[in-house]
Amino acid sequence: MHMHKLEKIWLILGISCLIIFLTTVGVSAFYMGNKPPSCLLTIDPEKVDQQKPFDKPGLHKVEGKEWDYELVYVAQAFSYNPAKVEIPLGAKVKVIATTKDVIHGFEVAGTNINMMLEPGYISEYTTTFDKEGEYLIVCNEYCGSGHHLMFSKIEVVKK
Amino acid sequence: MAKVELKAKQNTEIEDRSSLKGTMASVLFLLLFIIVSWLGVYYLFVDRF
Repeated sequence: MHMHKLEKIWLILGISCLIIFLTTVGVSAFYMGNKPPSCLLTIDPEKVDQQKPFDKPGLHKVEGKEWDYELVYVAQAFSYNPAKVEIPLGAKVKVIATTKDVIHGFEVAGTNINMMLEPGYISEYTTTFDKEGEYLIVCNEYCGSGHHLMFSKIEVVKK
Repeated sequence: MAKVELKAKQNTEIEDRSSLKGTMASVLFLLLFIIVSWLGVYYLFVDRF
């Protein structure tokens, strides 16, 4: 089959781009172990308050794990529990969240923490809070008439 | 009096319609755009916590 020289060049460029982008995703998932925030962990949405760790929402120091703190959130229409949290600068934190009723969003504005909270599922995200400041958590999944009033705050402070 | 035709032979330049230079240029432009936007988003992701 006759093919123009330039056609060959752009086919090679296109296919290599595809291979590079897919390899990046593959390495991220299978070598570095990145996974979606909600990954097969389930919970009975009617008994969220009685089950660990959601019986005690808030920031907890943990020992012997890859992260220093666990930050537990319970979302319901139209609030987050806890409403405000202080995190020491540089702490490695695992954010664990779920919802008691409908689907809510959990976005810490201006950061990579952005999860969907689905009833019956637990969402997690581990990160290091290495920038000082006040961060707003907003619900970015429409959840009802009070959706726009649903927020919480994280303060990253030097200690 | 009729004029004498001075140039009997005229060369008409025919453009090479099979040329793919323009297409190649737009492909490279698109490639550059995709790579720059991909890297931009990637660095934003790495920079944030």
